[in-house]
Amino acid sequence: MSLTFLLIEDDEIERMKFARVMQKNNFNHRLLEAENGEEALKILEKKDSLPDIIFLDLNMPKMNGLEFLKILKSDTSLNYTPVVILSTSNNHNDLKDSYETGVAGYIVKPLKYEDYAHKIKCMIEYWSVNEFVNA
Amino acid sequence: MGNDQEIFKRALAREKAARKQAEKILEDKSRELYFITQQLKEANEQLEDLVDVKESELQGVFDNLVDAYVLMDLHGNVQEMNQAAVELFGYDVRNEKLNVVQLIYKEDYEYAMTSFFKLTQDGFFSDYQARVYTKHNGVRTVHINASIIKDKNKKPIAAQGIVRDITTTLEQQRIFENQRQQLSVIVENSSLGIVLTQMGKILQTNKAFQDLLQYSQEELLEMNVQEISMPDEYKESEENMKKMTSGEIGGFSINKRYRKKNGGIFWAKTSVAAVRKQNGDMQYQVALIEDITDQREHEKQRDLLLKNLEKSNKELNDYAHIVSHDLKSPLRSMNALITWLKEDYESVLDEGAQQSFDMLLKKVDKMDHLINGILEYSSVDKGEHIQKTIDLNSTVKDIIDIIYIPDHIEVTVTSDLPVVQGDNFRLQQLFQNLINNAVKYNDKEKGWIKVSCIPQKTHWQFAIEDNGPGIPKKYHEKIFRVFQTLDDNKESTGVGLSIVKKIIDLYDGKIWVTSEEGKGTAFHFTLKK
Repeated sequence: MSLTFLLIEDDEIERMKFARVMQKNNFNHRLLEAENGEEALKILEKKDSLPDIIFLDLNMPKMNGLEFLKILKSDTSLNYTPVVILSTSNNHNDLKDSYETGVAGYIVKPLKYEDYAHKIKCMIEYWSVNEFVNA
Repeated sequence: MGNDQEIFKRALAREKAARKQAEKILEDKSRELYFITQQLKEANEQLEDLVDVKESELQGVFDNLVDAYVLMDLHGNVQEMNQAAVELFGYDVRNEKLNVVQLIYKEDYEYAMTSFFKLTQDGFFSDYQARVYTKHNGVRTVHINASIIKDKNKKPIAAQGIVRDITTTLEQQRIFENQRQQLSVIVENSSLGIVLTQMGKILQTNKAFQDLLQYSQEELLEMNVQEISMPDEYKESEENMKKMTSGEIGGFSINKRYRKKNGGIFWAKTSVAAVRKQNGDMQYQVALIEDITDQREHEKQRDLLLKNLEKSNKELNDYAHIVSHDLKSPLRSMNALITWLKEDYESVLDEGAQQSFDMLLKKVDKMDHLINGILEYSSVDKGEHIQKTIDLNSTVKDIIDIIYIPDHIEVTVTSDLPVVQGDNFRLQQLFQNLINNAVKYNDKEKGWIKVSCIPQKTHWQFAIEDNGPGIPKKYHEKIFRVFQTLDDNKESTGVGLSIVKKIIDLYDGKIWVTSEEGKGTAFHFTLKK
């Protein structure tokens, strides 16, 4: 089953890392990329190509991850879409705020690329066997 | 001859008549005497009755006198004493002889003799006050009024005295006086201004109050409270005063300004309390006045300082948090890019290039450790302190299970560890950092680490000893500073011990090191019980 991911991440190299993991593992999923929350909301306006999962960075300029998350959760057509946080912070408050607002997962980006690649691979494999609500 | 007879007859008749008259006179006189005797007898009886009445009246007075009454001869031998006197002196002249001299307290002897001399001279003395020995009650102080009793020839025959035991009264007076003095010392030396007022009128002030307002006592006694208050604030005081008068409140405390003699103004905390009569009516008001001009100034400054400090503290914490995350992201990118270079150009990179990339990765790694250290360090005093009951035995056991301990090193707990109140995460961090260090730096073939605790009065004193390389004396203080490390090669960030220090500070403890180079180190630290 081919899934559609939306990766919201302001750092170009982070986006490259995610894409490289997908490519190296020959994952046959579609990856949409947004540099920030505003851009992501624009993508989500096109209701015909909604993502199955959203991967969200917390630290972003302008609208940060949490603000985006709140907007998403208040939209009835989008609030079923699982959101997984990708962050460098394992700060207790960040985790708490995220789960409180409603996320399906929280991944702390490790320093080493190998470790990162392994985590992302596991996660994509996990979501590949999940069922989704079709909006 | 016949003539002679006649003369004789006549003489006889005359004599008879004279005798008859005499008899009559005698009879009259006799009767008169009888009546007089009767009258005298009656009068005497009446007098006797009167004397009896007076005597018994006197006896009653004498017996019922609250004060002791003593009657003595001129040599001081007591003739009579009433019940009060018996009770006072403990002697009873009906049973034993008593001379007043034996009652005189030895130090008062001279005074007693002088007074007795005065008594015999002037016939009385009053307000004699001296100490006497009593049979059962020790020395008592008495007050005596005495007078001389004289016979009809004005010859002194006895002396009488009314004696009052004033020991308790004197003692009470002394205590009262003492208390009054103590109180006045307190009031006079108080750094608080104290003022007694009645209906706004100043009745009494202490020195501090005079100093504060720069008026003399005499000036203040002519003034009322309104004159030293600010017009806009007097109202508030007056409203409170009304409530106090009605009994609604017992007292009140306000911060208000006062006007000094020179026109200057100062702020004072003023506590007013009502002094009430027995029936509850307010009689006076007593006010304590504390100059808080400086205090207010200091408070203002302190509040400002505190605010700034809080702000900069928060900023600093946020700063550490934000900066470290902002620094972490590029490090992740760098790691990824270097890894990709190594992977993608494996075939073209020679060994030297590969090595350089590996070293680059290590530096990136070290940088990441440092940033984590900053984060950890800045978060020690952040967040909630969850106080829980923690058994340090199990905390340390957990740590020994969690951390990597090579086979040649043994960690043992050599004494029972206490159960303490604290934050589990921080206590674990504390022990883990110390034990971890000891394990990491141990250089012996057979390494050991011992954890122990000795209870002290207010603190628990712990020791974590090892047989590692030891720490040179000059570093014993330095090692607790943040980013201070003695080791260049390993992944030490110099944060571990500074976190340990910070946690110990949180628990009002101390940490110090004893060490012999080459032989081992002992970290001693205390935690408040």
